[in-house]
This record gives sequence, C-alpha cells and structure tokens, in this order.
Amino acid sequence: MSIETLDRIDDLDEIPAEMVEKVQESVINTFGSIIGEELSFVDEASDDSALNGIIGNVTVFNSEHTLSLMLAIPKETALYFSEVFIGMPLPFKSDDMGDLIGEISNILAGDVAANVEKVGFRGQSSLPTATRGSDLTLFMPNKPPTKKMKFVSANSEFWLTMVLSESK
Amino acid sequence: MANIKALVVDDSKIMRSAVKRALNQLMIADFEYVEAKDGEDALSKFNEEIEIMFVDWNMPNMTGVEFSQAVRAEGNEHIPIIMVTAEKSMGKVDKALNEGGANEYITKPFTADKMHKAISDYFDDDGNIATEGEDEEEDKSFFQGILNS
Repeated sequence: MSIETLDRIDDLDEIPAEMVEKVQESVINTFGSIIGEELSFVDEASDDSALNGIIGNVTVFNSEHTLSLMLAIPKETALYFSEVFIGMPLPFKSDDMGDLIGEISNILAGDVAANVEKVGFRGQSSLPTATRGSDLTLFMPNKPPTKKMKFVSANSEFWLTMVLSESK
Repeated sequence: MANIKALVVDDSKIMRSAVKRALNQLMIADFEYVEAKDGEDALSKFNEEIEIMFVDWNMPNMTGVEFSQAVRAEGNEHIPIIMVTAEKSMGKVDKALNEGGANEYITKPFTADKMHKAISDYFDDDGNIATEGEDEEEDKSFFQGILNS
C-alpha cells in the first residue's frame, strides 16, 4: 500500500490489505511478548455476538486519517492477562483491570504506529481508554471501512476491530 | 548497596508497578521510589534528591518528552533519564534522545533483563549512580597515577 492509496481512502470500502497485514503482525508480536505464548490469527470474525469483558480503545492518527483499534477481551482472557502481566489475577471489576487493558492497548498502538508507517501511514497514538461491561456490542456509525479479527493462544482469545476513517 | 531515589513517571499505575518490580529484581541498588502520574505531576515532585528517572512518553497534561525537556532546561544534565514507552518508531526514539534529552530508551513490554541492559552503565559496583563527572575524575586519577609512577 502506498501513500497514494491512502489518499484515495474515501473511495475505499475496505481497509487496504497491507495495512491489515501490518496490524495483524503487531497484534501477534505484541501479545506474544506480553503473554509469552504463540498467538495465531483465526479468521475474519463476522459474528456480532455480545461480549462479557473489557474493550480497550486506542487510535493511531494523523491530520487526515484515524485508525481506531478496539480490543474486545473476554473476562477470562482479561483475568489471564493480568496474571501473566503483573503476576497475579486482578479483580475483574477494578480500576486496575481497566488500567491494565488500557496499557496493553497503548503498547499495541505503539507497535501498530511503527508498523503501519512502513506501508505509508505515519501517525501518532492517542491515549487509551477501557470500557468494562456485559452484553457489549460495537457499532460503527456511517459504516467506515472496518475489519474484525479473532486471535487465540493456548490460554487466551480476543477480538480486534480496526476502523479507518477521516480525522475530524 | 547504595540507596537510590528514583522518579517513576507513568499514567498507568500498573506500569509504574512493573517498572518498580523490574528494578527491584535487578538488585543493583536499594531503590526508593517517587511516583508521578504525568509530566506535570512529575515536575511538582522533582527535587535535587532524585538520582534517576524512568519516564513514559504518552501521558495526559504533559508528555514525557516535554517533562524531560523541562528538567534539562533547568540544568539537571547529570540525572539519567530512561524513557520507558510504547512508542517504537525510529523518529520517536530520535526525538526522545535528542530533543528530550533522554539517556536511554526502553520499549514496552520490557523484561528485567532489558531494563538491566539499559541502565547498568549508570551504576557503579556499589550501586551508586556513576555520573560522567565521576567517571572523568576516575579517568583523570588513573592517568595522573600513571604519570606519577
């Protein structure tokens, strides 16, 4: 994908494949480092089943475009992440758990920003946020180019939704 | 081991804990920690007793680079600043080291081993901060000894 491709982003109905590939690579590398397990991309998840867990939100943006990354992490996986990241399981309904998932989102965004730069998207990462709840469903207003992917390791599973839109 | 006062700056409490845990595992000094949740908070807590700083980049109110610039602008060139951040692009590394005045750059996630490689040169065998000035004085004494012998 070239910068020229990104210039035509408003005409695209999906995120350029090279960009998706770089994000997948970042997810596998980042989470592989964090949890010390081999991670694999399962499929382009198309189901919209509700989540009982935490959503970590972060963006990589420049003045023209914003790449939003939404990590949907089930409760069991969030508990596992806390155990490997800090050495003990955090209470699911705690500020610390939100802090952890926000920080993991931040680490992912740092890797994504460096990786998508290689295919022409130069941007900086935002501060992360985290949302905890049950029956969570993500809606994309105005239907921007979106890609939903599922990743699994021996002890975890989670989803990543990436959205490419105009910066406003 | 020497007692070292370290300033740990990160908007994530979890990451501040991770930095402290990694430093404690190294056992190169007895660290006493001052924690700050962003650059502004860090500036308010910064004082002449701080001997080394571990600073995140992406924080609300004041970034780690802005904080480092503010500290360096006050003439605190001798205090090692270790940037501990998720930012990985070469442009960011260059900015932190050259514009921000950071001494070292560690990317998250990090291990105690990675931390050790980044900071071990800043400590002497007793766990004291090995400043450039001290090194230069040691070098001068060494060469002076050769000249006198």
